[in-house]
Amino acid sequence: MAKTILVVDDSASLRQVVKMALTGAGYNVLEAGDGQAALALLDGRTINMVVCDVNMPIMNGIEFVKAAKQLPAYKFLPILMLTTESQEEKKEQGKAAGAKAWMVKPFAPTQLVNAVSKLCT
Amino acid sequence: MWARHLAASRAQSETAVSEMMQAFAALSPHLQSAQLQSQQITAALSPVDGTVIGLEQACAQALAPLRADPAVSAGGAAAIDAALTLVRDAVHAIEQINRPFSHETEAVAAQVERMYIGFQYQDRISQMIALLESDMARLQDAVAGRAADTPELQAWLARLEDQYAMAEQRHNHHGGADSGADADNETTFF
Repeated sequence: MAKTILVVDDSASLRQVVKMALTGAGYNVLEAGDGQAALALLDGRTINMVVCDVNMPIMNGIEFVKAAKQLPAYKFLPILMLTTESQEEKKEQGKAAGAKAWMVKPFAPTQLVNAVSKLCT
Repeated sequence: MWARHLAASRAQSETAVSEMMQAFAALSPHLQSAQLQSQQITAALSPVDGTVIGLEQACAQALAPLRADPAVSAGGAAAIDAALTLVRDAVHAIEQINRPFSHETEAVAAQVERMYIGFQYQDRISQMIALLESDMARLQDAVAGRAADTPELQAWLARLEDQYAMAEQRHNHHGGADSGADADNETTFF
């Protein structure tokens, strides 16, 4: 059965790029436009991994990771931060929040698929 | 007015990428299908049992006892050799046909990868323009006397710099000549 990846990004075009890369590799994809919308999707359904932007309106990626880690059912959900942010300080924030990996945009699809297959449970 | 022009530029770039993405989404399954077919043909031609080349070997092995049988006439042996030659030639012909097809699909896959990367630059443009829009709105408020505080120029620029997400923005802020694009393309695993 195909694994499900939740893609969180406020850019619709970026979500589409990620979706095409992941569906091409055989994954199912759910989409959310910000952290709050993504949290609403953590409602008990099976999600195997999250690919999440950092800078988003309403709820940013770091806040989302912290909130997701508070949910018992999703405590161990692997989260990959996919962002234009490349500063070490930001990476440390992501790591402290509970993210499992950090990837800087623009990314190559094979790079993303490799990281997802490595982290996806 | 500048803000409206910026907003229009941003919307135009989003529309352009959206259009390209929709077209690419329609093409993508065909590209993937061609790539898959090439991989299947290549796999079928690989020298393992059950494949086309394996078929050539299997035919030779199956006919070997008959070919070595002294009871088989010279005409029969020649017919067996002729049949094996036909199989071998057919397999090699298919292999030759597939070789450039395989290279072409690999080349297409590499270009598709570049397109995926190219599409993502719209997101970077959008982020840069969004920051300019918000800073111009802040300037409008300051000029109109609506701002609670209006810092001096250096403090203003420092506050702007603090909102940057990309290496290019920080680089450009300080007047860098080249793009200052992010060199960090590796995935960091925690």
